[in-house]
Amino acid sequence: MQANIKQIVKLLALSSALVSGGAFAQASVAVWVHAGPGPEHDAYVASVKAFNDSQKDIKVDLVALPEGSYSDQVNAAALSKKLPCILDFDGPNVYNYAWTKKIIPLDAFPELAAIKADLLPSLVRQGTYNNKLFSLGQFDSGLAVWGNKKLLTQAGVRIPTKVSEAWTLAEFEDAMKKLKAAGVAFPLDMKFNYGVGEWFTYGYSPIVQSFGGDLINRKDFKSAKGVINGPEAIKALTTLQGWVKAGYVNAATKDDSDFVKGKSALSYVGHWTFGDYKKALGDDLVLIPMPKFGAKAVTGAGSWNFGISADCKEPKAAAKVLGFFMSPAEIARVTDINGAVPGTFKSMNANKNFAKGGALEIYAQQAAEKVSLVRPETPAYPMITTAFAEAVNNIVAGGDVKSELDKAAKKIDQNIEDNKGYPVK
Amino acid sequence: MSTAVTHAPAGKPGKRSAPIKGRFTPWFFAAPGLLLLLVFLVLPFVLALVLSFTDQRLVTNEELGTDFVALRNYVRLFEDDSFWAALRNNFYFVAVVTPLQSALALVLALLVNQKLAGARIFRTIYFMPVATTMAVVAVIWSLLYAPDQGVINRFVGLITFGMVGPHDWLREPGLVMPAVMLLSIWQGVGFQMLVFLAGLQSIPLDLYEAAKLDGATVKQQFLYITLPMLKNTTIFVLITTTIYAFQLYTQAQIIASSGASAPIDSFRTMVMLMVHEGFRNGKIGYASGISVVFFVIVLAFSMLQRVLLKEERAVQ
Repeated sequence: MQANIKQIVKLLALSSALVSGGAFAQASVAVWVHAGPGPEHDAYVASVKAFNDSQKDIKVDLVALPEGSYSDQVNAAALSKKLPCILDFDGPNVYNYAWTKKIIPLDAFPELAAIKADLLPSLVRQGTYNNKLFSLGQFDSGLAVWGNKKLLTQAGVRIPTKVSEAWTLAEFEDAMKKLKAAGVAFPLDMKFNYGVGEWFTYGYSPIVQSFGGDLINRKDFKSAKGVINGPEAIKALTTLQGWVKAGYVNAATKDDSDFVKGKSALSYVGHWTFGDYKKALGDDLVLIPMPKFGAKAVTGAGSWNFGISADCKEPKAAAKVLGFFMSPAEIARVTDINGAVPGTFKSMNANKNFAKGGALEIYAQQAAEKVSLVRPETPAYPMITTAFAEAVNNIVAGGDVKSELDKAAKKIDQNIEDNKGYPVK
Repeated sequence: MSTAVTHAPAGKPGKRSAPIKGRFTPWFFAAPGLLLLLVFLVLPFVLALVLSFTDQRLVTNEELGTDFVALRNYVRLFEDDSFWAALRNNFYFVAVVTPLQSALALVLALLVNQKLAGARIFRTIYFMPVATTMAVVAVIWSLLYAPDQGVINRFVGLITFGMVGPHDWLREPGLVMPAVMLLSIWQGVGFQMLVFLAGLQSIPLDLYEAAKLDGATVKQQFLYITLPMLKNTTIFVLITTTIYAFQLYTQAQIIASSGASAPIDSFRTMVMLMVHEGFRNGKIGYASGISVVFFVIVLAFSMLQRVLLKEERAVQ
């Protein structure tokens, strides 16, 4: 009897060791990425496989989640303390995640400190909160206007090829008018099919900033009043509303096909459509720099980036995985597909598309000429983006610009008040 | 029943356990149910009430803690346009959907109750949407409502000889609620039809026979036999439909998240507002305030309904 019990205990111990994956043999690192089925997802699967095949100490488990509800999923996981070791998140969420201690600073890991030195300045700025680096991005984003050369030439529209030649607001509106007259159903595609969410803020807040406005007072990040509902912002969104009213933009578009099918001649969107557009339009695809709506052109900056969660039990292993993701080969694997600006100088220099005469040179120019502006660096960002996106949606549907923006300002200021001004300790 | 036990002679000490046992027996049987109600209904509500007076956040910097904020959430609530809009949308939906859906269900039940070949097939067809997940229904209907070449637009164009131009059903503030109502009724009516059908089939046929012998017309039979005999069924259908209608969430939420939608305040419901404020914006205290106010409103409404519609019971 005694022997039997001993045997059972031994068996139990053995099986629990097996279940835990041999705690001493192999560390398990879960990675969450936001990607539906598609080439970007395939690239991550390939990266993870390459990493798992290259060594035996760490095993990476990849979980891909749809983008629509991604940040809700992260919130839910954070609440139940079940965040994966590594997670990706859209740029400006880093400040809120850092403030709520969902993610940990990366400066302490030697392999990541080396990468920081090679990181694009815009990504360093995006990932830094309270003087510590919290996130690493494989790529920076590019926002500009894709053009259909054939349709633009037919309508007699000048096509700018350099940032210094960017259209002014009057030229831009004139181009849309000419295109509409030439029979293009909706001259400008603004990707309203992405739905009320981060795209609205990432994509349309540069228009507000180009007009001279912003989303929040960036001096102390304590109030949005008079900024998000200031005269410049009102003018910018009235202009946007005007494009929809004039029939230049189809705010009811349901999918990505308008530009590909020639229903639109201009597509106001980020780098990520490069692959699909190139396939559909071939040599007719031109990249046009962001127009100067106001005094200067402004584009969005920052993109999805990786952080290590506070719930991670193997942060050192996670840092190794993150270091691998940031190697030039892995960065190239992703940026070749989504057309993004590679996140490190090493990988940028290795990429033909961004060299002189390359298909995406405009993005590199915009980054170099400081046209790009990161989204507000404050833990209040999730509220800012929700409030702004909702206001944009209502305005595009015909709502009163001033009262919608007043509402957004009130919501943001209440949120900052609720969190006691987001104190940093 | 228990009277026999309580009146048992109490003189002998050995028998004392009997009345105690008798007193606790009903509680013993009710305990599992009461416990579940307590844990899943009463406790969460009490928690919501307590949280509604604090600034509790969903995910936060732990150093900030949770503070008592007195009536701040309620003051903000009554100043919030979105709250009033959500309340208006909810009542609009209930006021239209409850009577319409119940009436339609009765009509369908009368139709499929006819002794005709193929009645069973129609029963199945009308019931099929109920068996379909609401999420799927909402996605399919949002395609039917497509602005330019959607089925609904073509149909409307056809029956009005092109007089009513194509509409963007889900993006025009005045049309989005009716659009949601239509798809909700289509999806839900089969269930109420089934309840009415059961009610219809439990009416004894000899009543109709007797009425026919007395020379009652079909209309008279419907008014003086069918309707009175369906009274309890109708009350049940009205009350459950009202409650379902107040809970409106899935279909409206899916429409809100499929591309650029109509201004959110033109169709956001109370439950949606609760989820948006509590989960998306992380304002648990505020969302608790909404849920408390909503609970009071729905409770008042249900009590009013109970007073106005008295059921006939065999057992009082």
